[in-house]
Amino acid sequence: MASPEERVDALRAQGTDHQNHLIDELRFGKIGRREFIRAAAIAGMALPAAGFIAGCSTKRDSVTRPDAPQRGTPRPGGSFRVGLLVPAGALDPVLVGDQSGLGVIGLSGDYLIWSDRTLTPRPRLAQSWSHNGDGSVWTFKIREGVRFHDGTPMDAEDVAATFNRLADPDNGSNALSALSGVLTKDSAKALDPTTVRFTLEAPNGNFPFLTSSDNYNAIILPKNYDGNWDKTFIGTGPWTLGHYRPDEGISLRANKNYWDPARQPLADNVEVIFYTNEQGMVLAFQGGQVDFVQQFSVSGGRAALTDSDVITTELRSAAHRQIHMRTDQKPLNDKRVRQAIALLVNRKVLVDGLLATKADFGNDSPFAPVFSSTAPGVAQRDQDVRQAKQLLAAAGVADGFSIQLDTWQGFEMPALAQVLQQELRAANIHLNLSITDSASYYGEAVFGNSRWLDSTMGITEYGHRGVPNVLLGAPLESKGTWNAAHFKNKTYDALVKDYVAAIDLDRQRAAAKKLQDLLLDEVPILFTYFYYYLSGTKKNVGGVDLTAMGCIDVTRGGFV
Amino acid sequence: MTTTTDALATAAGPAEPHDEHHAQREQLRLLLRSPIFIVGTLVVLFWIVCAIFGSVIAPKDAYAVDPLNSLRSPTGSHWFGTDDIGRDVLSRVIVGARGILIVAPLATILGTVVGTALGLVTGYFRGLVDNVVSRFIDAFLALPTVIIALLAIVALSTSKSAVILVIAVVFAPVIARTVRAAVLQEREMEYVSAAQLRNERTSYILFAEILPNVMGPVLVEFTVRLGYAIFTVATLSFLGFGIQPPAPDWGLQVFEHYGLLSGGYWWPVLFPALAVASLVIGVNMMADAIAKAFER
Amino acid sequence: MRRFIVNRVLLSVITLVILSIIIFLGAQILPGNVGRKILGPLADQKSVDALNAKLGTNRSLIVQYWDWISGVFRGHLGNSAVQQRPVSAILGHAIVNSAKLALLAFIIVVPLAVLGGVYAALKEGTVRDRLISLGGLSATAIPDFVWAVVLIVIFPIGLGVFKPVATAPPGSNFFEQIYYLLLPAICLVFVLFGYIARMARAGTLEALDADYTRTAILKGLSQRVMVRRHVLRNALLPTIAVVATQLGYLMGGLVVIEVIFTYNGLGKALFEAAQKSDLPVLESGVLIVGIVYLAATLIADILYSVLNPRVRVGSAS
Repeated sequence: MASPEERVDALRAQGTDHQNHLIDELRFGKIGRREFIRAAAIAGMALPAAGFIAGCSTKRDSVTRPDAPQRGTPRPGGSFRVGLLVPAGALDPVLVGDQSGLGVIGLSGDYLIWSDRTLTPRPRLAQSWSHNGDGSVWTFKIREGVRFHDGTPMDAEDVAATFNRLADPDNGSNALSALSGVLTKDSAKALDPTTVRFTLEAPNGNFPFLTSSDNYNAIILPKNYDGNWDKTFIGTGPWTLGHYRPDEGISLRANKNYWDPARQPLADNVEVIFYTNEQGMVLAFQGGQVDFVQQFSVSGGRAALTDSDVITTELRSAAHRQIHMRTDQKPLNDKRVRQAIALLVNRKVLVDGLLATKADFGNDSPFAPVFSSTAPGVAQRDQDVRQAKQLLAAAGVADGFSIQLDTWQGFEMPALAQVLQQELRAANIHLNLSITDSASYYGEAVFGNSRWLDSTMGITEYGHRGVPNVLLGAPLESKGTWNAAHFKNKTYDALVKDYVAAIDLDRQRAAAKKLQDLLLDEVPILFTYFYYYLSGTKKNVGGVDLTAMGCIDVTRGGFV
Repeated sequence: MTTTTDALATAAGPAEPHDEHHAQREQLRLLLRSPIFIVGTLVVLFWIVCAIFGSVIAPKDAYAVDPLNSLRSPTGSHWFGTDDIGRDVLSRVIVGARGILIVAPLATILGTVVGTALGLVTGYFRGLVDNVVSRFIDAFLALPTVIIALLAIVALSTSKSAVILVIAVVFAPVIARTVRAAVLQEREMEYVSAAQLRNERTSYILFAEILPNVMGPVLVEFTVRLGYAIFTVATLSFLGFGIQPPAPDWGLQVFEHYGLLSGGYWWPVLFPALAVASLVIGVNMMADAIAKAFER
Repeated sequence: MRRFIVNRVLLSVITLVILSIIIFLGAQILPGNVGRKILGPLADQKSVDALNAKLGTNRSLIVQYWDWISGVFRGHLGNSAVQQRPVSAILGHAIVNSAKLALLAFIIVVPLAVLGGVYAALKEGTVRDRLISLGGLSATAIPDFVWAVVLIVIFPIGLGVFKPVATAPPGSNFFEQIYYLLLPAICLVFVLFGYIARMARAGTLEALDADYTRTAILKGLSQRVMVRRHVLRNALLPTIAVVATQLGYLMGGLVVIEVIFTYNGLGKALFEAAQKSDLPVLESGVLIVGIVYLAATLIADILYSVLNPRVRVGSAS
């Protein structure tokens, strides 16, 4: 019987340079177990092997979060009821852009990879994947024996067609925000029925995430798909369409021929019930109308947080609010003023007061604690009113000034604006608040025709993402289309390129550290917190799996 | 006035100015004695005092946020509890009177002025002008008020003046209707034909002759509409389209917190709601008493 | 009589046309363009332009107006800009829901208010009269969201009876659905009671004062018989008129109650359509509300004149 060390060495011999590099980092304590598993999986190492190697190490995670408590084994059979908000648009996997829509398509469809609650990629329709030397070509092995709900077999051509369809600008897919610059409509090619090759526009170390449930439009559809998904709910997933009542709900049936032996549907059917607002949904949930709600916020779901019949699942996420400051307008064009404003904010009050402690502190960059590539060891910015006043004096505005802050009536953003208003008053900075509805705030969403992009200061909501790539790009790059801060910094642009191209965790972290330091210094946008994803099940319910993106897996869900 | 008193009047000759004055003073005295009027006035006066001296009376700063102390139930230090970012509800209710007592009366005055003018014109001229304008008025009345107000405010962007303008525009048609009906009656009177024979300018006839005689219904409409204005301002704020944060507007407070009701957090919602109710009832009591006084 | 009806119908049609123009132009003022609103602020500008072209929002206003109106005549209301479903399906569903709530509210409030108003009239000038009149009026004056909040705090939260949402879970039977609708219906009862009661009271007073009543008293009829035979019928006249006008309010003006109670009625549908710039739903929906209101007023006027010939000749008030 080979000793653990011998087995690790054997695995090393089979592994790529990158994978070996990761094993070294694990051994020398540079990364924790969980991060190793995650990074190794991204790099294409099989999970059991990664898990085994990680088990041989004893380093604690630098980032720990307790898992949701296990509730015992659920009983099979019966109906499982899920509460979602009404989908914002039509149910079409190519176009879906809201939480409810993605929740629905994930029930009937499957992804190549499932990015689980710790952002570790788990193989689904893809069995394994690997990349070439510089990470510009990725090859995926597709699982065999999987069929769509109508009986047709799923193969690599369906996968290639799916991604080419998403990357084609003419289809106007919501996934373009993640895929543009990475894939084009010809990037994916089926080499044989079980192999797909992606030729990227540029090396990308985080590519597997773009094929995962984090890129929620990417459920695998038949190659001849041409629309009207809401009539068939076609996919390879564990739940098939029973009956769809727009605005009210969906009845789904268990897929008896589901390919995954480890995740056979326990319940006979799933009832999805739509609610028009969060308050109604939480009320109905407390009243026992549904067994599980996809997501609620602190502001909308306080009742659930204090209900003893409810088990709240808290997942660390990258969802946040960006408080941007126009770096090209006086007096905010002086970075000392921006730093001062950042120092006037009391992040603890925001996290504990506004969000009932359900958030991580943000350190003024998109690198949330939940990302494995976030460089550790960067000092957390705290409130320091004295230093703020010194900076303002040095910048010549010791007497303060008046500026306008725009935002809209959503979630806790008006409250955040009012707290900011009060905190900034300590240094004589007067915020005039202009809080409107979301349509007026976003306007045409182009420069010159949008409060969001034209305002001096503003608060904008950003949802969770599996990797920070998109967050580093559009809101902060010189040519970024979401760059409300009008931040134009060539060093920054170059560093982002480095980060995106970095394939191993080490290089990613090195690039991240430089970016984090730069953004802490320039501070075009305040990232004050990354709030947790909150979801709820009743006490007697167990086995539900979900991700901070909102993807839900209720195959093993039921009553305990 | 009934036909019998008319007949009596013409038989006895034109009423003495002295007698008219007497009647008015009598009306006023009865008004001031009516308990309903007194109660209503007291309530309204209370809120007016709050509106003017709010920042002095209020126990705490109505704008001071304290997120770590949010949603505390009513206790000794916060009689009405605290709201979702820790502000004192009692202080916000007191100071909140100012916004609504500025916007609602202004909107009503504006609406009454425009509506009266419209009513005078359509009632006096009749014919084509009346028909066309009345059709527009009818169309307006058939539109759901809230939706119209909403569209207008979204288009004009939320601000106090937008709210005033929108409410005035929404009320004017209704007032015009009532004034028109009154003018239709008045134009048959002798003093009007007398003025026409004298070749007085139309504007003189409208504003100097007819208007004073329809002031009764106009005043009644004004007081009734004032109640509706308060109602509508609060409703618009409740829907998120009226007065904006961080103003301590009552409707806005209900809007910001009604989602918390199911969690048992009733105090940030109930107290502002009751404030609206009390003000509206007070104004209506006054309106009711005034209307009764004019009836006599 | 026929001339009167034809006349009124014609006027209503003209009003309706003006209404349609007003709402069409009004909807155009909403800021932002439709494509952007649907796809959201983070979507590609190219996708937005493509969608706008597909929805035809770039054509001239007159063309778009004519497109819409001629469609309405043929019964084609088009598709919702936001939900990719036919407008008729969305509005149909909403109308049915509003009708259910309106019916329940009317069943409770009309008998209550008529009895209250008649009683108040019979006891004119007494404390009971003032209580009913003033109480009713105050209740009407209080904004509906205040009633909703107060009732929600007292009943589901305080006492644990009734439900704070009005939509029963799918699959509920008839009685369960009514149970869920009770709280918003009670709100409406408070809101409508005063106005209807006041009309009934005024009508009763007028009838009591009329010549034929005096004759009946002289003939020696008991008060109860007199009330039943003559007064009640005439008190109902203004009530019918009021109920009809309230129909317009109930069918599209209940935005606040429907939002608080999360009920998919017409008011809420229109409110959300306005928020999301869903122009097809908004325009057709408001038109329908207008039609309901005008039709109801028309029928009320006709009924009123049939039962009371004096009105026909004079000008409408």
